[in-house]
Amino acid sequence: MKMLTIVAGVLLVFMFVWERVDVVRVGYQIERLKTQKVLLERERDQLQVKFSALTAPERIAKVATERLGLIPPQQGQVLMVHQQEETPIPVLPPIVQVRLARHDSTVRRNE
Amino acid sequence: MTPGPSRSRRYLMLFLLFCGFGIILSRLVTLQVLQAAELTARADRQHQKTVSFEGARGMVSDRHGKVLAMNMEVPSVFGVPTSLESPSTVARHLSPVLHIRSDELERKLRQDKSFVWLARKLDPEQGRRLEQLSLDGIGVVMEGRRFYPKGPLLAHVLGFSGMDGQGLEGLERRYDSHLHGEKRVTVLQRDAFGRTVFPKGVAEQAPTPGHALTLTVDEVIQYIAEKELEEAVTRTHAKSGTIIVMEPQSGAILAMAVSPRFDPNVVAALTPDRWRNRALTDTYEPGSTMKIVVGAAALEEKVMTPDSMVFGENGRMVIANTTIHDHDKLGWMTFSEAIQKSSNIGVAKVGMALGEQRLYRYLQVFGFGQRTEIDLPGEVNGLLKTPKDWGRRSLASISIGQEVGVTPLQMVSAVAALANGGVMMKPYVVSEVRDQKGRLLREVLPQVRRRVVSPETARTMTTVLEGVVTNGTGTKAAIPGFRVAGKTGTAQKIDSRTGAYSSTQFVGSFVGYVPAESPRLAMIVILDEPQGESWGGTVAAPVFRQVGEQVLNYLGVSRDDTVKIALAMKDY
Repeated sequence: MKMLTIVAGVLLVFMFVWERVDVVRVGYQIERLKTQKVLLERERDQLQVKFSALTAPERIAKVATERLGLIPPQQGQVLMVHQQEETPIPVLPPIVQVRLARHDSTVRRNE
Repeated sequence: MTPGPSRSRRYLMLFLLFCGFGIILSRLVTLQVLQAAELTARADRQHQKTVSFEGARGMVSDRHGKVLAMNMEVPSVFGVPTSLESPSTVARHLSPVLHIRSDELERKLRQDKSFVWLARKLDPEQGRRLEQLSLDGIGVVMEGRRFYPKGPLLAHVLGFSGMDGQGLEGLERRYDSHLHGEKRVTVLQRDAFGRTVFPKGVAEQAPTPGHALTLTVDEVIQYIAEKELEEAVTRTHAKSGTIIVMEPQSGAILAMAVSPRFDPNVVAALTPDRWRNRALTDTYEPGSTMKIVVGAAALEEKVMTPDSMVFGENGRMVIANTTIHDHDKLGWMTFSEAIQKSSNIGVAKVGMALGEQRLYRYLQVFGFGQRTEIDLPGEVNGLLKTPKDWGRRSLASISIGQEVGVTPLQMVSAVAALANGGVMMKPYVVSEVRDQKGRLLREVLPQVRRRVVSPETARTMTTVLEGVVTNGTGTKAAIPGFRVAGKTGTAQKIDSRTGAYSSTQFVGSFVGYVPAESPRLAMIVILDEPQGESWGGTVAAPVFRQVGEQVLNYLGVSRDDTVKIALAMKDY
């Protein structure tokens, strides 16, 4: 019995020490991840600025005309093709949520 | 028992102890009470450091979420002169990285200070090179820098912010209270070696970024407007130019282009003249475009009908000992023809038929002489005198757009009201404000200012203005496949030397809307002092057509010749 108590006590101390050590370890990990997050956010912002600059209409037009040799469509070259209006989707009556006591489920009922 | 030497020693010991404690006590009182305030302050100075953190400035994007302005963290470099052994060596190392002269850096590093900025908001690449140098006494901190990734696009509307993140011009200034991030002052502890120890939890207390703005502007329409304006200004050698594209039904600004342009990323070397938003800060005499307002007022007041006859006095009419001329010797003409041919005499007579009070009332109703209250800074009232200050010629002059100063925004708002069936909307550029988590804080809905004329008058005036483009002075504004309503304007500028109207300096303009039957765009094009031929119909109307055609294509607006096909819907 005495031996068991000593072993339990040692285990408790060990667990306490292990927990403290783990808290410190996880703390360092969190700090590392936070730093990583800041760096990734910074990289994201840099990429976003770059993306915005690269997709500027002025740049696209320049690349299209100077590098790809494209020209704006001339008069009569643009034809608008409009789809005929579809049959309108019938408007469904309002949906009422009804909770049934027996099955405790939700069903849809049209009023 | 007699007191012996041991007792004497005890008293002596007690006395010495008492004295010792007394000295300690008196020193404690001196330190803790008498010098407490001074010593506490000194300790704070040595162990604490107050720094301010500012949240990133909010993002600005166009109506489709395309980023127009955003913050990015970039390195700033500082020095600690008191801890430097050889400022000259450090300056020599830093000079090629910072692109600052070595002697200038050395002068800063020799100052008797514990902190000095050497360069702020550098490129990320410079920051990496500084880290590689790893110089003692030189530190790098990250600071938010404002970037305008599209360069000069929409610069006059966006404005710019200063080195410390405060809005200085344009939307950056007008919405600074929303855009700027939260500022938080934190006291940091320093250890015995002077190293900074961040207080626990400072990372969790990171300051909140500013709010994000979504604009009504479409970056593609803005690009089209700026491109065509630049080309027109270059072609005509004009001093400057302005284009505003507005959605008549809502008052939303789709584009606001001003030439010459500037890059808000590099404003240090520019003067305010370059970044002034002329669309709302500058007034001009509108000339013949004002005939739209006079015509609409005359129709509304039933002073005229489209077929009312007006005599053109064969191109010459004397009023108050001055002469009004027409470009052609016009005789009898209808009211519609007077507008379409832009007859000064014909419209002056229409104005005279209206009378001073009614004309003045309509000018006010159409928004002249008062701000449109657009959400941009620097807007001016324009110039509109009250009738008691009018001279004998004023009624005729104002009818043809003289003696009155308007901003381009006022003029396009007035014409957009006709496009909108006679209802004037308040122009606006910001449609939404959201917080850093994307939650909607403020949504700007179209706001009616007032009804200016009846729907019937607006319809009739639209027909008259269509005639300007089909048969009148504005034929070069015609867009194939669309009905265009508009009016040309060619106004003489006042010569600053003589005080009289100049015969060489003009403002050429065109204002109108398209498609006339169901307007999607109201637009004004203004060219200030074009060289050579300066007629609004020659210099501005073609720009209206170029911009209008491209924008309508971009928006997918059907032409009259649109091919309509039925597509079978299949379930794939």
